Amino acid sequence: MDVLQMVLIALFIYLGSIGSIVGNTIGWYTLGRPLPAAFVVGLILGDVQTAMIVGLPLQVMYLGNVTPGGAVAWDLSYATYIGTAGAIVFGDGLDASALIGIATVFAGIGGLVGQLMWNFSYALNLPLNRVAQRYAEAGDTKHMWVPNALMGQAIGFLCRFVPAMIVLGGMTAASTQADFATMIPDYVTTCLTTFGGMMTALGMGILLSFLVKQNWYLVIFMAGFMLVTYFNLSMMGVAILAAIVAVVYYKSDTLKTAKGVE
Amino acid sequence: MTEIEKTEGKKISPQALRRSFWNWFFWNGCSQQAESMLGMAFGQAMAPVVEDLYDTKEEKAAALKRHISLFNTEAQVGSICNGIVCGLEESNANGKCTPEVIESVKVALIGPTSAIGDSLWVGTIIPILLTLCMTISQVAASWAGPVVYMIVYPVGTCILSWKLFQLGYKGGLEGMQSMMASGKLDRLTTAMVLMGLIVVGALTASNVTCSIPFGIVGEVMDTASGEMIQTVLFDTNKVLDGFFPKLLPLLLTFFIYWLYTRKKWSPLAIMGLILVIAVALTAVQYLTGYADVQAVAAAAAAAAALSLAAA
Repeated sequence: MDVLQMVLIALFIYLGSIGSIVGNTIGWYTLGRPLPAAFVVGLILGDVQTAMIVGLPLQVMYLGNVTPGGAVAWDLSYATYIGTAGAIVFGDGLDASALIGIATVFAGIGGLVGQLMWNFSYALNLPLNRVAQRYAEAGDTKHMWVPNALMGQAIGFLCRFVPAMIVLGGMTAASTQADFATMIPDYVTTCLTTFGGMMTALGMGILLSFLVKQNWYLVIFMAGFMLVTYFNLSMMGVAILAAIVAVVYYKSDTLKTAKGVE
Repeated sequence: MTEIEKTEGKKISPQALRRSFWNWFFWNGCSQQAESMLGMAFGQAMAPVVEDLYDTKEEKAAALKRHISLFNTEAQVGSICNGIVCGLEESNANGKCTPEVIESVKVALIGPTSAIGDSLWVGTIIPILLTLCMTISQVAASWAGPVVYMIVYPVGTCILSWKLFQLGYKGGLEGMQSMMASGKLDRLTTAMVLMGLIVVGALTASNVTCSIPFGIVGEVMDTASGEMIQTVLFDTNKVLDGFFPKLLPLLLTFFIYWLYTRKKWSPLAIMGLILVIAVALTAVQYLTGYADVQAVAAAAAAAAALSLAAA
């Protein structure tokens, strides 16, 4: 990676994190999701093909990573940008499963740094309340953006951009030292592949915790599972079938309620 | 003209409403912290409205102070709160509402809007949309999925957020209550959850991998040729898959779900556990020489295919 590429990736890590200047809808929930993030890294490093090879599994792995009640389970933005960059920089000439293994490891490192930085900025934002209080007491409607959009933003930027540059710089330096791809022993790749495949279950488990309101809901989850294992439906087929089930349920329940009123 | 305005009282200008919405849409997460959560962001969003409605410095200060206090929601769906509060501030400026009411309504809105936003929008719509886009990447060009997501999600969410903001402002609390009481929202949520469950089930089946790398290879007399040939006598995964395809990934997902919801393990702790299991499984694989089992199985499969082709 050259300096411009590092700056661009670090910038996107900041844009994809919570509370960046483009807002959470465009930032955290769009640029911060692994699928778009991998694509962006691919564009910056000029290798969209490799980026998407690791982007899809990372997206599945982290699909359950949402932010309930403001508690960040794992800093996705850091995880995927660093993970994808790691796979492209270190994985030259490796096959897909090894690439995914490398991406998983770097995503883990990135996620950890991101988590740390989120807690840090969460604490640093506290004194901003005093600033907001001062402007509010003065009835100064013209300056209410200062503590939130300006100062909160500045703290967010520093907590994301600077550590990202350090991590990316370290990666670049390491990649010029030796060809790590050939140094990784066979069993490490196997272990990483196993780890990656099982990590997906974590994402699914967290998603289930959102969806399952009563235990018997798990039966419907099983139905989706068997549509693939026994009926070999593609994801698109399952999604369309699921949409049909949702519409039928909605309509039948509407009719039932309407009858009950009569 | 001026007389009509006087009888109708004060009204927030459309520009101020739009400014308020954009302030919220772009900067709702900038200054999150433990003391007031999204309070400062809410204060910034309300600033144009306060400027529009109140004349004296004291009135403005009082209004701003009640909006930088604790507030939290899922911000995208939660823009309905901003709409409702704008409506209430307007009534307050006309003497038809009190600051106490505004404050208690704000607190009361935190629970339901976060619940709907987190479970319906963030927990269901986003994963489903991402799944569809991943499928697009797999069947069409790999860049197509992310591009579709980057256009559809922000634009769709922005429109929804703005509609909810307007709904809150025009319909007020009564509008939201009547929407919730009609059962329409409940029905919609359940329908979405059904859809989500099926999709997550399918995702689990196609993406979670987990196997016990253990098998036994033995020499067996081939009845046809009378030679001793190597055969896989026992392969854990074959047995389990014969019983129920992908049984282990399914059990693993249930186990993690149970750890996360019932045992309240943090995702980080679960990740650690997964790493330990992965290392253990890899050790089993290498120590028991599972590669031999796979090689024998592959050879047998190739031989079977060959004899089939010959026949």
